[in-house]
Amino acid sequence: MSETATRKVRPTRTEAFEQRLQKRYASERRFRMLGFSAIAFSVLVLAILLGNMLYSGLAGFQRDELRLSIDFTQAGLAGDASTLSQPDAFQVLERQGLPQVIEFAATEQLGEDGAAQLSGEGWREVAQAIIADPSLLRSQQDFWLPTSGDLAQGMDGEGSAQMQALAQRLVEEGRLDSNFDVGFLTRSDATDPQAVGIWGALKGSILTMIVTLLLAFPIGVLAALYLEEYAPKNRWTDVLEVSINNLAAVPSIIFGLLGLAVFLTIFPNLRSAPLIGGMTLALMTMPVIVISGRNAIKAVPPSIRDGALAVGASPVQVVFHHVLPLALPGILTGTIIGMARALGETAPLLMIGMRAFIASPPDGFTSPATVLPVQIFLWSDEIDTGFIERTSAAIIVLLLFLLLMNGLAIYLRNRFEKSW
Amino acid sequence: MTIIHDMEEPTHPKMCTKDVSVFYGDKMAINQVSIAIPAEYVTAFIGPSGCGKSTFLRTLNRMNDTIPSARVEGTIELDGEDIYANKMDVVQLRARVGMVFQKPNPFPKSIYDNVAYGPSIHGLAPTKTDLDEVVEKSLRRAGLWNEVKDRLQESGTALSGGQQQRLCIARAIAVDPEVILMDEPCSALDPIATAKIEELIDELQGRYAIVIVTHSMQQAARVSQRTAFFHLGEMVEYGPTDAIFTTPQEERTKDYITGRYG
Repeated sequence: MSETATRKVRPTRTEAFEQRLQKRYASERRFRMLGFSAIAFSVLVLAILLGNMLYSGLAGFQRDELRLSIDFTQAGLAGDASTLSQPDAFQVLERQGLPQVIEFAATEQLGEDGAAQLSGEGWREVAQAIIADPSLLRSQQDFWLPTSGDLAQGMDGEGSAQMQALAQRLVEEGRLDSNFDVGFLTRSDATDPQAVGIWGALKGSILTMIVTLLLAFPIGVLAALYLEEYAPKNRWTDVLEVSINNLAAVPSIIFGLLGLAVFLTIFPNLRSAPLIGGMTLALMTMPVIVISGRNAIKAVPPSIRDGALAVGASPVQVVFHHVLPLALPGILTGTIIGMARALGETAPLLMIGMRAFIASPPDGFTSPATVLPVQIFLWSDEIDTGFIERTSAAIIVLLLFLLLMNGLAIYLRNRFEKSW
Repeated sequence: MTIIHDMEEPTHPKMCTKDVSVFYGDKMAINQVSIAIPAEYVTAFIGPSGCGKSTFLRTLNRMNDTIPSARVEGTIELDGEDIYANKMDVVQLRARVGMVFQKPNPFPKSIYDNVAYGPSIHGLAPTKTDLDEVVEKSLRRAGLWNEVKDRLQESGTALSGGQQQRLCIARAIAVDPEVILMDEPCSALDPIATAKIEELIDELQGRYAIVIVTHSMQQAARVSQRTAFFHLGEMVEYGPTDAIFTTPQEERTKDYITGRYG
């Protein structure tokens, strides 16, 4: 027997050990690959979604417009800063025949067939410009006014051959063009896709979110604080905890029905109002805030509480000087996640009448309004193909709004976060 | 229970407990402990883990109130006042009986705010100048002033472990308590930081009645003048530290300090 054969080999040097080691490394590599492909798949799907949305949405921020040159010195319209600052300025201009003036100019410059494709609501934009600056009435001005949906289709190479020919002629004459539509961000809903805007829905969303935040945040935080810091731990608080967790999982349409049955019975005149919408969404957001708030409060180390109690702080002082400031980043993150969910919510708001056609932005919390996701839902339902691009554009606005809120959440979390 | 009376040095009891028992639910953690804690000395509680010495310490400023299942029987008096009486205000009691914990627990605030917190919630320092003075005095007494005077606005949690514990002591003495309870204040610290804390306890002796719970018998022998030995929820023996370590009267005490168990 040779010496090497009899020498004892340590178990970590054996062949079998090497093989097991290789297997362990291989399984780790497989696991890493799986994780990476999961991430890659998610990123790919997200990129396709966003890319598609951007591609069709950017066209939604554009509008097909006809150029009209209007000589107001010949039109015989009267008006100055004082008469046009009245609330009935639109009617004054309409009675004096502003729509006819525009029609006349259109027939002259675009021909009979071209004038017929000028959007019927176009004169309102001219009227708005005049109200903003009455001195226009003593000059000659160029206006870009929205076309009809038919002509817009013709310009895209769709629709009837007649429209396509007309669109081609007007483009060649420099009378028809697609322009970036600033008005999309300042106008409200309309029946004509060329005349719609997102501002009404955006303002409705902002007002609704304000109501939701003002109701859900204080109530949710106070409930979380009470449950964590004061409530005795017994069967009743257990039942309460289970109920809150269940409430967070209730389908949102149920909350809509609750809003319909309770809030609209109490305030029957506030149908479609941001106030009622905000109250309904607050019911939905509150459990999310309570749960995340409780977790954040639980994460504050007990030693901090002990330290404060030991120098003679009262329980309220412990909560407001120590626990709440340390739990705040977590509470804020949870709140904004809840708010973001509420912002994207459609179903409960349909139930309380926020799906109405509302052509002017809401004046306040009690006037009828709609919100961004409902507006998207309504436009996606329209027959007119011009709404497809507008819908994508509205989705981009909603996503930007969400991005803004989430950015705020991250900023606030970093701002208030402390180490212990 | 054996209590060795020290005839040569009569002491003034600062806190007196009589037949104090503590229960967690049905479980008895402390069984009928009676002890008189002198005002001018450092008193050490020693004993094996789980013997109830920390539990007993926490009854002395009612920190056990925060544990819902804990129940205290018997009487505990501070200068002759029953601290579990209804008219005793817990907030005031804890301002008079301060506490330092096992793990340093500075607030995640600046060093200055850590020390200033107690005086400002109790309204002890009405003006900014007064507050500055209290903060400086407390940090000096805690032996931390020279190390932190140039960075009072830095976070207390950025200090080293030993410095954090001295900051906690400064925080406790800033409200000018009569008694300071220390619950194994050095168990999370290295030997050098421990030595500093022990020095500090020596300096504070006489100004405050100090009660320290410790695992280390050497530490008890170094810093205390009175020692109580706890075992299984009972106080076995209490007397001058020298006597406990040299001539223990009880068999269990003798076994513990000679290292037979614990």
